[in-house]
Amino acid sequence: MAKHLLAFPDLCTGCNRCTYVCSAVKEGLFIPARARIHIQNFPLHGYSVPCICFQCPKPECLEACPEEAIYKNDEEVVLVDQEKCNGCGVCVPACPYGMIELNADNLAYKCDYCGGEPACVEECYPGAIVFVEPDQEQKKIKALQMKERSALSEAEKKRLERAEIFLKEARPAAAVSA
Amino acid sequence: MNLYAGQVLRVDLSKGEVAKEPLREEWLKDYWGCWGLAVKYFCELVPPATDPFSPANALVIMTGPLTGTLAPTSARFGLVSKSAHTGTIFEANMGGAFGPELKFAGYDGIIITGRADALVYFRIKDGEVSLEDASAMKGQGIFATEARLKAAVGSEAKVLAIGPAGENLITFACVGSEAYRQMGRGGAGALFGSKNLKGIVCQGTGGVRVADLEAFRRKTTHWKQTSLLTEDNLWAKSDGTPILVDVTNEIGLHPTRNFSLGVNEGHAAIGPEAVRQAKLADRACAACPLGCGKFTHINGAEVEGPEYETLCLAGSNCQMNDLEQVIRFNRLCDDLGLDTISAGNTIGLAMDLTESGRRDFGLRFGQAEDYLAVVSEMANLSTARGKDLALGARKLAEKYEAQDLSTEIKGSEFPAYDPRGNYGMGLAYATSERGACHLRAFTIFASDHFNIEALAQDVVNGQNLNAIKWSMCFCDFWGTVNTEIMADLLTAGLGRPVTAEELDRAGERIWNLTRLYNLKAGFTGADDRLPRKIMEQKLGNGPNEGRVFSKEDFARMLQIYYQLRGWDAAGVPTKEKLAELGLQPL
Repeated sequence: MAKHLLAFPDLCTGCNRCTYVCSAVKEGLFIPARARIHIQNFPLHGYSVPCICFQCPKPECLEACPEEAIYKNDEEVVLVDQEKCNGCGVCVPACPYGMIELNADNLAYKCDYCGGEPACVEECYPGAIVFVEPDQEQKKIKALQMKERSALSEAEKKRLERAEIFLKEARPAAAVSA
Repeated sequence: MNLYAGQVLRVDLSKGEVAKEPLREEWLKDYWGCWGLAVKYFCELVPPATDPFSPANALVIMTGPLTGTLAPTSARFGLVSKSAHTGTIFEANMGGAFGPELKFAGYDGIIITGRADALVYFRIKDGEVSLEDASAMKGQGIFATEARLKAAVGSEAKVLAIGPAGENLITFACVGSEAYRQMGRGGAGALFGSKNLKGIVCQGTGGVRVADLEAFRRKTTHWKQTSLLTEDNLWAKSDGTPILVDVTNEIGLHPTRNFSLGVNEGHAAIGPEAVRQAKLADRACAACPLGCGKFTHINGAEVEGPEYETLCLAGSNCQMNDLEQVIRFNRLCDDLGLDTISAGNTIGLAMDLTESGRRDFGLRFGQAEDYLAVVSEMANLSTARGKDLALGARKLAEKYEAQDLSTEIKGSEFPAYDPRGNYGMGLAYATSERGACHLRAFTIFASDHFNIEALAQDVVNGQNLNAIKWSMCFCDFWGTVNTEIMADLLTAGLGRPVTAEELDRAGERIWNLTRLYNLKAGFTGADDRLPRKIMEQKLGNGPNEGRVFSKEDFARMLQIYYQLRGWDAAGVPTKEKLAELGLQPL
């Protein structure tokens, strides 16, 4: 069975080391705004939500791409062939999780599991992000997270909308977006 | 540039102008970043006689070279200015995530002068920088202000903000960020207030470059594994600072009942186990794997914390052995914008005055209702007693002739280590550039708490190391970091050799420059003093029962310290010492 990247918001301390290392590996400098993983932080409520690509079984980014620039490899990881990408951007609103975006060169980019050794996992000391063959309980957690879909168009707003749902579950008394 | 953004923002609030200017690269090799570099900028810009509340005073906010990288615990940043609470130059630094965000926006620092006509905030979104109307936030707490400023820029923007305490120029008002992170000591919040600056919001989408990314990552991983995440530091992850409640009670220097006792018999109620019971989550500053912040919740009250200083000053020192009440107090201070150390210390003094019948503030040890009510009264100056306590311990004691009961140096209230139980802390408090402070030298783990010679050397070493450590923006809680590690990371990051020796000298240089500034500002060796209480009143219980730190012992220790520093008997750096460090008299 293939390994999956899993996120457990209850364990996330909001340190963002995952976004720092991701951007360093992928962009060559520490530029977390360009990371393939994001953390939505709610410091007032003591909560942070890692936003990850689920490598969907039926990826909507892939289905939306008119150029067939998005494809799946043998390990079921969804990848972008930037040679084929024409920058139309329809994949961005298509992803319900806000996890594919266009870079400064107008090319789509997303998480590729670092070819099977995700750098973010190495940096996650609290264990909020793991890369494992999921057990039944972990599969259930992932399925529940995938159920929360955002219909907004901008990736950043999608991530915030979804993260606020998890915040409300974890901190029921929290006045979200107050 | 590698590591640095290469640019600072210059804000003139009087003219309403914002400009971008190149970083003074020629200062970097001697002052490096954060504390050191901010001190250099500040000393060049603000004459020592300047009134802290005048438009001529400057706020120099500065990140460090490693801020915004994976170097662990390096996300801090600092502010240097002249304090209205102490009249000294001071530095306050903060964790959270504002520092990296400023670097990602393309700036190493912000230099703010002048005074706006009406309340404004400073908006930074990458290259777009502007001053904006903040009148809608007037009187609002830090939490609400942060939410509004984030809404104006983006959900992951980072904010510095003041609450009503800062707007009301309470001289120990803090600047808050990420709700529970503060520039706590020295009254940075009042300085924001004096400039009519409600806050700064920043979002950056750029990055920080390093010369050799592969080597830099290898070194950060190496030092993280072999130094940071080792037994010496992992208390921060497992317990956080509440562990010090147990440690200081055991040593017998845990300030209790307005510094009359060294042991709080009821400390278990506010100790590490109690905090663990109340904990919902661990929280971290940017780039820190430790996650020392403990987010707690009891009966609807929640806060990230309380940290040790708050547990002691607002807990034991007020005999408030009730974690829920300390959490409530902590949250109020964080939102209204008061430093919990100064506030807790001053309230403890007012309780002492009330209970001893010398002045009735309606505040009694262990009585929660007024203890909580007075926080808002202080921040908002809404009652007579609130106005009194907002003066801080020194002026409150002067007003009611209670200098025998107060614990402050240069106006800065004592933090949570009684010098009668460790003489090094007394010397550290007396010689800190910003008045009584535990973040310049920290000697409570010395093998002998009363060995004057050894502790004087420990204080010098600690001050010099911390001067460079805070200039690198490392956290206090990487207790095993040293200039070898710093030099190794800088070498990979900058792409040129950096030595531990040059960093050691920079630390000593920075310490001496702050001394020169304070001497020019009118301070003398006579201000390196201890409060009467510490010299004359015997500690009331515990292992150090009956102890004082006598005037004679302190005077002897101070002279040893001056000699170790290469200062004359009046505490003035000698010409030889200045020449050795490449400093000119101010």
